[in-house]
Amino acid sequence: MNTLMYDTYTIFWREIKRYKKSRSGVLIRLIQPAIWIIVVGNIFSGTQPLIQSVGFEGEYIEFMAPGVIILTAIFTSIFGGVNTLWDRRYGFMNKALTSPISRSAIALGKMSAISLIAALQASLILGIALAIGVRFPNPIMIVPIMAIVILFSLGFSGISVMVAATAKSQETFWGVINFLGMPLFMLSPALFPLELLPNWLAVIAKLNPVTYTVLLVREMMTGVSEGDISIFLSLGILFAFVFVMIGLASYVFTREVNKPF
Amino acid sequence: MYSVQTKSLTKSFGDVIAVNDVSFSVKTGEIFGFLGPNGAGKSTTMMILTTLLKPTSGQALINGFDVLINAKQVRENIGYVQQETTVDEYLTGRENLILQAKLNHIPKNEIDQRIDDILELIELSDKQDNPVLTYSGGMRKRLDIAGGLLHKPKVLFLDEPTVGLDIQTRRKIWEYIKKIHDEFEMTIFLSTHYMEEADNLCDRIGIIDGGKIQVIDSPENMKNAMGNEVISIIIEDEKNTTTLISNLRQIEFVKNINNDGTKLILFVSNGTQVIPKIFQISSELEIKIISISLTRPTLDDVFISYTGHEIRDDDSGFNRKREHAKIKRLRS
Repeated sequence: MNTLMYDTYTIFWREIKRYKKSRSGVLIRLIQPAIWIIVVGNIFSGTQPLIQSVGFEGEYIEFMAPGVIILTAIFTSIFGGVNTLWDRRYGFMNKALTSPISRSAIALGKMSAISLIAALQASLILGIALAIGVRFPNPIMIVPIMAIVILFSLGFSGISVMVAATAKSQETFWGVINFLGMPLFMLSPALFPLELLPNWLAVIAKLNPVTYTVLLVREMMTGVSEGDISIFLSLGILFAFVFVMIGLASYVFTREVNKPF
Repeated sequence: MYSVQTKSLTKSFGDVIAVNDVSFSVKTGEIFGFLGPNGAGKSTTMMILTTLLKPTSGQALINGFDVLINAKQVRENIGYVQQETTVDEYLTGRENLILQAKLNHIPKNEIDQRIDDILELIELSDKQDNPVLTYSGGMRKRLDIAGGLLHKPKVLFLDEPTVGLDIQTRRKIWEYIKKIHDEFEMTIFLSTHYMEEADNLCDRIGIIDGGKIQVIDSPENMKNAMGNEVISIIIEDEKNTTTLISNLRQIEFVKNINNDGTKLILFVSNGTQVIPKIFQISSELEIKIISISLTRPTLDDVFISYTGHEIRDDDSGFNRKREHAKIKRLRS
């Protein structure tokens, strides 16, 4: 167990070092969510009466800010596994595979690094949200919000690492990731209240772990709880999702990297 | 004692048999070289020995550990330097070595000292804090090799250690490999398609072609078995070569003849006396000799005598005449 932790940290250390050296990427990756919060937040500002009808007092932008924080987390983490393909192509993977560290440690190290990076990106978006006037009733809530973003990204990075380990090419990876990312974001109450979704969409949204994460973060930011989903149910589902993804990603990753690339 | 042993090792990918019933043993402490053209099965064998690929059948042992059953112990016993340089460009030289040290579970309190020592050995101490992005090809390769032996493995695998490097750098890398071998007294298993490299570094060589081992011996023995001189002849055209060869075989001192198109290679023991006889026979057959040379045998000659062709890429379907005709046709 100790070795697994040590090895996971080794891979985590390497990924974070690489991230730090590619600073230009940080800003580029912020452009998209920034556009979402500034442009979409204002385009939809007229929907305020709809938002108020389900119990929100504030502006639309305050309603959707938690959604954009999660959007950042989704996309940073689901794209994050792509360097697995480079590692296999350029030999780092073989180097790691011929050393005594376990395959799971490679997957977990990558996932934890991706989740920290996703949380950093999300916190920058939170900063932008605050700068354009989104207000917190309780600023201390930033701590549990970031904890939830880290947890959620850890689970989501599992998807990325699995797809990257299975895909043999960049094309397959991006194809699958784009197919997964956008629908998972759209089929959640990130931009629109759950109660106002048509029934069939609401049913689908309730199967989506993104939904519960958005509800949790929104409740922490605005203090308003939505529908009849309790915080404990959301937390339970989030934890279950993360545990399943950790297990599944280590299993799939180990199976796939043992095949010739 | 043997560090590497294989028994009837076979690996096939679908219908293609990359490694075909290969059995050999590498003695502890020696530098053993796999010599063969691209596509001969060198890298595949090495990937099986380093636990990256599973053999289709047969067995491979590293220090007594089976690569299939005791993969973890095998990994603890080996260092593997791949054909491509795999150092992380964004990290500094030292950071790359720290990563390698951690991957191989070097105790924390020893990491710094070992890295200092190895940087000194490969003469990169002054560049250690620069990103690898700024390193030359030779420096990257040195760093890569250093990473492979930082944890003092029992067996170091070097897959084509000097491929793509210029000749000066190549010689420099050979010096480092020898230095490493003297200092750490480890077994080194390397693969190469450079004759000179195999000749220069290896205690013993296995010639591999088409997935099969043709011969294993020391470079000296191989060359001696060839006869102590080599006569290369180029004749004008391929007509009558068979008669020529059978007549040449009658000459005393001629041990073996290889033929590749208009090129004949004679392995002989008393060259200066053979040459006049060659001229005599060829003029009787009215065959015109374009050039003739007398040299000491090289590993090149050994390779040709065992495989029947010169060392080159396996896709030897490339036919200059045919290609030329094709281009001509396309132009007209």
